[in-house]
Amino acid sequence: MTTPAERASRLDLVARLKSAYPELPDAPTPELIDHQRYAAYMKTVHDVGGEPDAPIKYENKQYEGWEENTYVTCEVLAWRGIWLSEERRRIGNVDVGRAIYLGLPYYARWLWAAARILVEKHHITSGELSERMAEVQGRYDGGLNGKPLEAKPKCHGDGLQIQRNRHHVDAVGKGDPHIYAGRAGQPKFTVGDQVVVRELPALFYTRTPEYVRGATGEIAKVSYESPAAEDESWDRPDAQPEWFYIVRFNLSQLWLGYTGTSSDTLQTEIPERWLQAAH
Amino acid sequence: MTEHDHELTVAPMVDEITDFEVLEIAVRELCIEKGIFTAEDHRRFTEFAEQIGPTPAARLVAKAWLDPEFKTLALTDPMTASKEVGVDWLDPTGFGTPSDFCAFHILEDTPTLHHVIVCALCSCYPRPILGNSPEWYRTPNYRRRMVRWPRQVLAEFGLYLPDDVAIRVEDSNQKHRFMAMPLRPKGTDGWEEDQLAEIVTRDCLIGVALPKVGVTTNVITDTRPAVHPLPS
Repeated sequence: MTTPAERASRLDLVARLKSAYPELPDAPTPELIDHQRYAAYMKTVHDVGGEPDAPIKYENKQYEGWEENTYVTCEVLAWRGIWLSEERRRIGNVDVGRAIYLGLPYYARWLWAAARILVEKHHITSGELSERMAEVQGRYDGGLNGKPLEAKPKCHGDGLQIQRNRHHVDAVGKGDPHIYAGRAGQPKFTVGDQVVVRELPALFYTRTPEYVRGATGEIAKVSYESPAAEDESWDRPDAQPEWFYIVRFNLSQLWLGYTGTSSDTLQTEIPERWLQAAH
Repeated sequence: MTEHDHELTVAPMVDEITDFEVLEIAVRELCIEKGIFTAEDHRRFTEFAEQIGPTPAARLVAKAWLDPEFKTLALTDPMTASKEVGVDWLDPTGFGTPSDFCAFHILEDTPTLHHVIVCALCSCYPRPILGNSPEWYRTPNYRRRMVRWPRQVLAEFGLYLPDDVAIRVEDSNQKHRFMAMPLRPKGTDGWEEDQLAEIVTRDCLIGVALPKVGVTTNVITDTRPAVHPLPS
């Protein structure tokens, strides 16, 4: 039971949570959104490299039980073929949207992703999850009072009907990305080549950072063959592996007003589709 | 802030189960009931996760300082070198820890080149050989700034590098996992492997600190306590 005042107060709190340009109204008409703002809204929110920020106090953290359990649950879901790590990274780091991405603790997003994949892939229903959450909450009504926080599964399923990916079986004894070795043909670039990072639109997911797009760098290492994150993130069985490269950029050329030395560099790894020869 | 908001945001007086705990328990129960994974799978991976830490990485660097052949192995075949310090990157699943992959690369510092790692997209980190990443490594703050203002961020860790040492930031964003191999510091002549390993702290392997005689702890030691830690 909630009172009218409690319901209004809850809405007041939600309404103050902003993740939008303050000069624009909610749900703006199309002519109010120029290309730059469109790109900013569509940017994959995990890609924070180079955004201005002020120094903070860096701290360590002890982990709560649910955080450790969440990490393990996510890894075990991959071990047992429910998702690829790249699916987890997209769901928990991008699909969450900016407000959750910046607003919730790190492992809260991992947990959200685990729940999400189970519903998306029809392993559980959204209703089942809601009912179970309400039930767990009910077990601790009135406070913990010394009761241990524990899972109490009602049975142990044999899992025989569960749809699983091939990767968790095929990669055993080989590892990832080794499982894709020899499948991408000849690499297009070699160490020392000058390359430009393409400025491709990336609507839903990418791991090519925005801050190097359009910049010129040098191939530092021909890395390995693997499907690009853009395909692997949806576990496409037909994804074609391609070559990845570690590309080196000169920081004083990459950033306007770089304050270090002209010999400082940055390296990051980029799949072939994002690179073209520099002329 | 209204009085009602205040009531909603102030920590409760009784020790309540949190929203995170409710969801975590619900997800785990449903997975076990449906056979998506077993309670035994979860327990086995927990045991694996609890024993990883930076000790093998420190040992690897100490060995490389003492043995040029091992150093060459570490730089050219880091998977085999990892095995020599007790880390098999295929553990515990047979295809590795799913989030860390099996492509490890060690970055060798020289008198004129210093490496530091970051994952601007999230938290890529060589967990199997270095343990779980520290909380600060995962903050948007570190990730935003290290790729653009590395000398300022390193200074905040107390690391001031002269202009004749180039910084190389490794933004670890795909399947490779990286670790710095720092230079052996002065004053360690005649030291045994165990002594050397003690001064190779986790922060030295990330690249936010340099090994120093007499320093065996990380730069950042302040730690936020957990409200409901895992029972030991």
